[in-house]
Amino acid sequence: MMLRAKHRSIVRLWVACWLLFAPAVPAEENRCVLVLYSNNRLLPANIEFETGLRETLDNSTELNAEFLDYPRFEGESYLRALTTFLHEKYALRPPAVLIAGGKGALDFVLRHRAELFPGVPVIHAAVSRSFLRSRPPLPADVVGVPIEFDFPGTIELALRLHPRARRLVLVTGASKQDRAWEAELRGDVAQFQDRVTTEFLAGLPTDTLLQRLSGLDGDTLVVTPGYFEDGVGHLFSPREAAGLIAAAAAAPVYGPFDTFIGIGIVGGSMPNFAAMGQQAGRLVKDRLAGGAPAAPRLPEMMPKAVNLDWRQIRRWDIDPSAIPDGAIVRFKPPTLLEQHATATVFATVVFLLQAGLIARLLFESRRRRRMELAIQQQRFELAHASRLAVAGELTGAIAHEINQPLGAILSNADAADLLLASDEDRRDELRAIMADIRRDNMRASEVIRRLRALLAKQPADWHTFALNDAVRELEPVLRAEARRRGVALDLRLAATATTLLGDRVQIQQVLINLALNAMDAANGLPEARRAVALSVERDADRLTLVVRDRGQGIAPEHLPRLFDSFFSTKPRGMGLGLSITRTLVEAHGGRVWAESDPGAGAVFRVEWPAVDDAGTAEPA
Amino acid sequence: MTTSSPLIHVVDDDESLRTALLRLLDAAGFNARGYASVGEFLLQPLPEGPGCVLLDVRMPGPSGLDLQAALLRQGNALPVVFLTGYADVVVSVQAMKAGALDFLTKPVEREALFEALQRALAHDAAERAARAEAEQLRAAFAALTPREQAVFDQVVAGQLNKQIADALGIAERTVKMQRAQMMTKLGVSSAAELGRLAERLQHLPD
Repeated sequence: MMLRAKHRSIVRLWVACWLLFAPAVPAEENRCVLVLYSNNRLLPANIEFETGLRETLDNSTELNAEFLDYPRFEGESYLRALTTFLHEKYALRPPAVLIAGGKGALDFVLRHRAELFPGVPVIHAAVSRSFLRSRPPLPADVVGVPIEFDFPGTIELALRLHPRARRLVLVTGASKQDRAWEAELRGDVAQFQDRVTTEFLAGLPTDTLLQRLSGLDGDTLVVTPGYFEDGVGHLFSPREAAGLIAAAAAAPVYGPFDTFIGIGIVGGSMPNFAAMGQQAGRLVKDRLAGGAPAAPRLPEMMPKAVNLDWRQIRRWDIDPSAIPDGAIVRFKPPTLLEQHATATVFATVVFLLQAGLIARLLFESRRRRRMELAIQQQRFELAHASRLAVAGELTGAIAHEINQPLGAILSNADAADLLLASDEDRRDELRAIMADIRRDNMRASEVIRRLRALLAKQPADWHTFALNDAVRELEPVLRAEARRRGVALDLRLAATATTLLGDRVQIQQVLINLALNAMDAANGLPEARRAVALSVERDADRLTLVVRDRGQGIAPEHLPRLFDSFFSTKPRGMGLGLSITRTLVEAHGGRVWAESDPGAGAVFRVEWPAVDDAGTAEPA
Repeated sequence: MTTSSPLIHVVDDDESLRTALLRLLDAAGFNARGYASVGEFLLQPLPEGPGCVLLDVRMPGPSGLDLQAALLRQGNALPVVFLTGYADVVVSVQAMKAGALDFLTKPVEREALFEALQRALAHDAAERAARAEAEQLRAAFAALTPREQAVFDQVVAGQLNKQIADALGIAERTVKMQRAQMMTKLGVSSAAELGRLAERLQHLPD
């Protein structure tokens, strides 16, 4: 006794000291929150609630929890001792806000508040509206959002998901709370009686209950809030009880608490305990910030939601289309995307990129093929354009070729004029002049005829012709050009037949291109090296055109690209001449290539398979 | 045109044209001779007499421009008239810079051809006259004694007799005498005339 009294006086001393110093500590400095739970600390609902509460509050808030442990511990003396314990325990750290979790805790707080924590505002959570309605209105400093265990909603859900069910079994327990739930349920099932027959299994020993449940047939549904105590006094949490029931029952089990989800029940219409914790947390924050939450601003009721266990839906073969909109379906295997979002997105992106790449490559390849065809087409067009360009280059030579006979004609005519004016009879001379004029006239028109043939844009016109003749025809133009450029032109024709099948003008184009190319190579060289040799050679099965210059030759790195379009080593070259040349040669079944002796000249060879005079390929 | 001595050398590789030109020139009273190439022209001794060259630009072997250059190198002043089938700017500029008198294009109008040739022959005649006069001057100058040439230099430089005497270390009287002899030999009668002559001498071609 002495000891006890001494303790008490020490405590009182501490309290006095605390009271003495209290004014120095600003009120808002006290950030202690005490949560008083109705039930056991391991009750899943409590754990969920506290999780929601903690994630809402700051770290600076000190959170303490006490558990009334209903219905395991009950009775006046227990409550008295508990009151004293709490009073003593929190004497030095009184809470700034008190949370009452569940109707048991709220009831306790309302009764013992004055002696425990006078003046401390109270927030209630997870208290059913029916309980609040059953008692006098709460004091102004006790606020909270009521909940409603939705038994009718849960039954409605069960009937909706099992439209062929004919029987409804309701399971409850033997504790005071269990009996309250039973009473509530009995009221609620009345409205379903025209749809199903109902049967209560209330307060049975667990063994018996489970046995009964295992014998249920297919058109039966079970609805239970679980229970705290069975018919023989064994204590459970409602979740444990519901788990046993779900495991034993041969029928689908539904329940009104979201803590039941995952233990074997199909689902139910449930308030969410974590959400209750969050709501309470928000109210606490308001209180700590000094404000008093105005009751009208609070939601009238914690929201409820249909929660379902996907595995049970599959197990009971429930039609997924019957699941109400907005239902939370848990344990649904996440889709690939949900499960491995990053990997899936990455894989998808990679796949799309690859697909895009492949599509692109296919597209490119098709486009290239189309372009190659178009280029083939264009080359023939270009062959014409190039001939015009060549004509431009040859202007000097052509002018010379034409002006030469024209000059002779004019001078002859003038001479004749003068002779006629003289008195002498110089008829013989005049006759010679007339003959020369006629001859030069023919010469000029021949130049023009050849030029027109060269420049005409005519479709490929295939005949057999002698390559010798085609070269010979060009000889004057080539010679004139060679002369203009000061290049010696050596021209040798084959001694035997040089029949070729193809377009004579196109072959002449090849010849001109190669000859001009060779003359270009002679540019700027000493006179001894300004020489181009052009020859037509014929052996057993081949007809070859050889164009040789004595220029700088072709750099080895340029050889492979020599015949590519737009490849040119000339400062103003278009890079088309040799490309067109190759196209034309190949169109005639031949091939063209270059050999080079760097520093000493280049040789271009064009080779066609020989053809006999009838135009058929000669057997080799 | 009626002077018989000038000879027109026609160098063109195109036989037909060459023949036509020779016919025309002959009918017009020119003396003309044809050559099929520069080489053929050069194989002959270089013509000494008056005349001109009617020259094609492009020919196998050495071109007309090559011949023009060769003639200039050898100091033969035969004027050149080019006649070409295709007058490109580069070649014509080159030819005119090298002293060609004309650059004609085939086919050429008779009048244009004759005019050019007349001009070339007149130019040749004037050149020859100037050359003859220069020869004469040079010969006259060469005929002066060294002392007379020295006095010539001093007089041309504008010195008075007294100054010349001082400079050459001879008596003023001697200067006067040599000056008179020098002027007689050169065929001039006044100092002003002597100055002009000196100027011409200075600008004589070699």
